[in-house]
Order: sequence, then C-alpha cells, then structure tokens
Amino acid sequence: MAQILLVEPDRLLADIYRQALESAGHRVVMCASAQSAIFAADEIKPDMVILELQLIGHSGIEFLYEFHSYPDWQNIPVLIQSHVPAGEFAGSWGMLQQQLGVRAYFYKPLTTIRALLASVAEFAPVVA
Amino acid sequence: MAGAFAAPVLSQELLLTIAEQIKLPLLQIARQAEIARLASLPNLDDIQATADNALRLIDNYVLSVRLSCEQELLEMESVSVSSVLYDAGQELSSLAKSYGVNLELHIGGRFGPVMANRLGLQSALVSLGSALIEALPAQESPQLKLQLATHRCRYGIVAGLYSDTEQFTVEALRQGRKLQGSTRQPLTGLTHTAGAGIFVADAILNAMQLKLKVSRHNRLYGLGAVLQPNHQMQLI
Repeated sequence: MAQILLVEPDRLLADIYRQALESAGHRVVMCASAQSAIFAADEIKPDMVILELQLIGHSGIEFLYEFHSYPDWQNIPVLIQSHVPAGEFAGSWGMLQQQLGVRAYFYKPLTTIRALLASVAEFAPVVA
Repeated sequence: MAGAFAAPVLSQELLLTIAEQIKLPLLQIARQAEIARLASLPNLDDIQATADNALRLIDNYVLSVRLSCEQELLEMESVSVSSVLYDAGQELSSLAKSYGVNLELHIGGRFGPVMANRLGLQSALVSLGSALIEALPAQESPQLKLQLATHRCRYGIVAGLYSDTEQFTVEALRQGRKLQGSTRQPLTGLTHTAGAGIFVADAILNAMQLKLKVSRHNRLYGLGAVLQPNHQMQLI
C-alpha cells in the first residue's frame, strides 16, 4: 500500500479523503498549502501525491513546478483533484503529463470517492 | 424601481461568486454521504453543519439583495454590538466545531448602542465568519483561533472577526473586490474558496451605508465594520 501526500485546503474534505484512503489501506499525510506540502514530501518521501490546485498563497501549479524540480521526486505520480475544471487545462495537458508528472485529472465536484480510489489503485506504485 | 435594481449588490459578479461557493458545501455533503455509505459510519453532525452553512449563505445573499432593493426593510435601530456578536457566535459555533476552529468572543470594555439594522449586522458578521472559518485551517494558522471582537476606534466602534494570520491587508481586500466574479479565487492570500461570505458581508454592510474594512484587534488581524455610536441613546 502507498504513502500518499494529500494536498487539500478544505479541512472537511481532507478528513473525508483521508478516511477513504486509509480504509483502502494507504497511509496519508495531509497538507493545506504548497509550502507545507514540499516540507512534508521531504520528510515522508511519498509514493503518490493527490493535489488541489486552488490553494492559499502558492497555487497547485506552482507546487508542481517546485516538486518536479527535485530529481528524486520526478517519478512520483501526481493525481490532480481540483475545483478547476479539466477543460481549462485542455491545451496544456501534454505539458502537465510529460513535464510535471500528472497521471490523471479529476474535476472534484463530479469525482466520487470510489473513482478516486480506483485511480489511486491504478497509479500507486506497489509498495511492500 | 429601475434605479433600485441597478444596486451593485445585484451584480452578476456576486451571483457568480455565490454559485462557485455553493459548490463546496454541496460537494462536502455528497462526499460525506458517500463515505458514510462506504464506512457505515455517518457523521451526521458535520453533514448538518455543512448544510446549515450553505443555507445561511443563500439566506444572507437574499437578505443583501432585499436590503438594497426594499428600503422599508432597512430600518436602522439602536443595537447592542455585544449582543449581536454573541448571537453571531452562536450561529457559527457548529461550523467552527466542524473545522476545528476555536471561536472566541472578546468584548473589550463597555460600549453604548450603535445605529444599524440588527438583522443585517448579524447576517454580515455570520457571513464573514463562515468564510473565515473555512479559510483558517487552509492558511495553516498555528492556533486555529478566530475572535469575534469589538473595540473603539477613531471613527466609531468596530465589530469584526480576527485571527493570527497576517493575510488581511487593504490591498488583498481591494484586489478581491476587483476580481470578484471574474476569477474562482479572488482572495488568493485569504481563502482557497470563492470567498462569497466576505463579499456577501460587504454587500449587506454597503446596503446599510457601512463599510467592511481591514482592521486589527489587540495583536490579531481581521475584517470588521465601523459602526456609529447612537449618542442620543447614551444620554438616556
């Protein structure tokens, strides 16, 4: 099961996603901001990141650039789950995938927990 | 009444902000219901607090529009600030509990009555409080403490909400008002949401000829309304 870094600014939603991921057997570390997520990533060495783009201060995209600039973290899969509709990134999907390690993009209001867990199971590396 | 409908409170920008904001509690309720089904452990308190918060936001928005359009509703009266703060705190307590925010009431001294519309003032403070409660954990505030407070200032009596985060600046509020409706997150330094509660409070206060201002209370930062004391009542 995977060690997941969950970057989610809303406390209620973060608790719900943490509960769902833990019940699927994953370990979860929650962060509300881009800066604390970078510090947490350094500490826990996550196997996967689940990211909201709308954060206070630095945005999720800024986080992605910073996160991906460290060679050790470049192969860590990132799932974006955001209030920003995927259509707004239609023109830059290739860049998100190839340059920033994004494996999947979910529009949060229409993404069920079941769909998120299925995607985590698909992209999380197998960890003993 | 064509003139009344030109009031800024009926702006498309505010309506868009409300629409964007209302997705959050609906999403929370949907996911809370889903996790309850998966885990067979419904957290009914959180679901109720979330739904109540959404209903309050819509109610307060409707009030802001009605206060602007129907002048007879906007009766100014002599209001005790401390009792309005107390009632606002009561309304916000379940939401604060859901978000793990410690909500405190701080009345620094005795204040005479002020001139305001009681329902309007309370609704503005509740709207503002809801928005700040949602935002506080996302700001990674070390204390997660929000104070409903009042103090005297050069211009009158300020009633507002305060925390230990420094993001409350005049520039942030000015930019937010400008960006409202044209961006999903107009107050990027303050909240990860659309900040609708802040703009609804702004609209309600505007309808009462009052202003939402950046303010400081003791060593805390926040937003508040400057109210005029009712000198006539103080003489009695």
